[in-house]
Amino acid sequence: MQLTKTGSISAALAAATCTLLSANAIAADSNTGNSTDSLIEGWQFNSALLYYGETDRVKAAEAILSARGDFGDDKFLNLNLVLDSLTGASATGAVAQPDAQTFTRPSGAGSYTTAAGATPLDDTFHDTRVQLDASWEQPLTANYRGTVGGHFSKEYDYLSLGINGNISRDFNHKNTTLSVGTSFSHDSINPEGGIPSAFTPMLFRSNFASEGAYQQAFDGSRRTDSDTKTTAELLFGVTQVINPDWLMQLNYSIAKADGYLSDPFKVLSVVNSNGITQQNLYEQRPDSRTKQSLYWQNKWHLSGSYLDLSYRYMWDDWSLNSHTADARWRFPVAGNWYIEPHARYYTQDEAEFYQPFLSEGMPLPAFASADYRIGQMDAYTVGAKVGTVLEGGHDFAVRLEYYQQNPNNPGVELPGVLQDLELFGDVKAVMLQVSYSF
Amino acid sequence: MTLHTAPSNISLEATSYGWLGQFRAMASPCEILLEGVTEAKATELTQLAANETWRIEQKYSRYQPDSVLSQINQQVDCWQQLDDETAALMQFAKTCYQLSDGLFDITSGVLRKVWRFDGSDQIPDAAAVRALLPLVGFNQLKFTGDKLWLPKGMELDLGGIAKEYAVDKVAQLLTTATTAQNTAMVVNFGGDMLAVRSKADQQPWRIGIEHPGKPDEPAMLVALRAGALATSGDARRFLQKDGIRYSHILNPKTGWPVPNAPRSVTVSAPSCVMAGLLATTALLQGADAEAFLQQQGLQFWLIP
Repeated sequence: MQLTKTGSISAALAAATCTLLSANAIAADSNTGNSTDSLIEGWQFNSALLYYGETDRVKAAEAILSARGDFGDDKFLNLNLVLDSLTGASATGAVAQPDAQTFTRPSGAGSYTTAAGATPLDDTFHDTRVQLDASWEQPLTANYRGTVGGHFSKEYDYLSLGINGNISRDFNHKNTTLSVGTSFSHDSINPEGGIPSAFTPMLFRSNFASEGAYQQAFDGSRRTDSDTKTTAELLFGVTQVINPDWLMQLNYSIAKADGYLSDPFKVLSVVNSNGITQQNLYEQRPDSRTKQSLYWQNKWHLSGSYLDLSYRYMWDDWSLNSHTADARWRFPVAGNWYIEPHARYYTQDEAEFYQPFLSEGMPLPAFASADYRIGQMDAYTVGAKVGTVLEGGHDFAVRLEYYQQNPNNPGVELPGVLQDLELFGDVKAVMLQVSYSF
Repeated sequence: MTLHTAPSNISLEATSYGWLGQFRAMASPCEILLEGVTEAKATELTQLAANETWRIEQKYSRYQPDSVLSQINQQVDCWQQLDDETAALMQFAKTCYQLSDGLFDITSGVLRKVWRFDGSDQIPDAAAVRALLPLVGFNQLKFTGDKLWLPKGMELDLGGIAKEYAVDKVAQLLTTATTAQNTAMVVNFGGDMLAVRSKADQQPWRIGIEHPGKPDEPAMLVALRAGALATSGDARRFLQKDGIRYSHILNPKTGWPVPNAPRSVTVSAPSCVMAGLLATTALLQGADAEAFLQQQGLQFWLIP
């Protein structure tokens, strides 16, 4: 480097600038009272309460508290705590029948009955989850920023631990940002009653002479008490400022999950040629899944309003492909209030091993699941958020949304009585969220 | 030219991030970008910012005979008492004079008597320039903390600091006046700017600034998370004679334009005053501007 006569003066100049600017600062402080509304100096908090209720099914309440600490020099610590509580019933995968059906609870202890014509729902669903995420972000050099983080999530029968990292580089006066991220997580599942072996039938206490004989058979149908799953993900992103009012983002991610990917609570009904259930078998999914996604987001500033349009295409080696289109439009209304209508459309193809039921007499496939969540479906969300900035800069907002899932028959011919029964029932839900920043 | 004291001279408009308060001062459009405040608070803050800017402008204006600066310039060959703020600015100017090896000099304004950068070919007579040189040089002032002795014929000009100083002071004032921790703001006076905090969505502030060197081109878009940007240089102010282009950057030691000075330099620094000082000092290095900037270890943009 060529040295100029003047040399490096920035450190001395910084000191002189501090002296200059602090000269009258004390007077200014006393003029304005110097009060601060923040709970802790340098920290910003966001809180939210969410209620999610499906008609006749799952109800969830969730509390979220996130905090962002400013450690100066563009260094931040982000903390996120989520507590949620789920209750209610979820579909087991078994088909509805013209008569009432009795099912053994997943734990093996006790049973429940589903009314004639109704979709079998396991009403033992009850869980509380705690999730904690922490990340540290800071500039690495003039144009590079780095983030490292950790993840912890615990529910009654499930533990997830993860680490993640991200590096981004700014180009072109920070109008272009490229980022590369990676994450790794390790999950353990330890369901009550253990993990059923693939395609073992659901057993009934009434078919056994004694409690001991039943318990012995039940234990024999269980492969193990607990199992694990690991997920590794790689993410590439580019964010581009097109003009001062238009920001565009494009992300690609690839994630590979290995291990226990089935749901220990889901079954498939084996039906005869008349559609009558003969038995229910526990499902089996492949032990690996590679999922890829492309995400394209646009944010526009349009004469005081703010439009956010995004599209996601996701595909995996289970041939479960999905498309998501999302639109939010935030615009100011009277005073400090704004309203943000939201619409979202989602559609997915079924996984290649999805079957709404198994047919008696047919050979068992290597993998099968009747879980409607990996079946063919369309879903949409419509709603709006209304918010304001309160005195002191605190954001307050209420969001109300309606959500509907419409599972579809992927083209399976329905035998006998199944033609007259509702096998692909809609799921309807409402969401209400209240959020406040301080 | 600067009697903007009526409160009605500010305006406020809603934006995607919050509010944009605007007013005019120091021959520049002045903008206050605010996020996380109510409309009432945004109006209050913009008014506060405008009042502070107009105060600094009037206090250090060369054009108003009753400004503090004009009063100082009229009291020659005697000791005069400086108020705290002016004394702090003088002390800062002295440090800059020393750090820049005499190139940044608030007494160099008298050279304007012979140099008029109007795009013409009116190069002053070398003798006229030489005649003014004895009246230039911060080291000829007597300055002791809060007292100043200004020799007859010399003049102070704080034009090279005042706008950047106003940006920093306004940002300081608004930070103190905003009770909320999450009030993010940018103070932007015609491209000299300071961002107090990045926006809630963690996206940097994106601000269009006009290229001083290319006034007809679209504004350059800069991203600012926190910290200041200041630009020195003005390609429209020059003289040209016999194929030689004379920039308006005058070397106070020779009285002549600095040869090969870049058209404009933009520097990013923690404060606007510091960014402005480095940008101006870089221009004064002429052909060495880029090497000088590299030694400062800060981000910069240079238009040759």
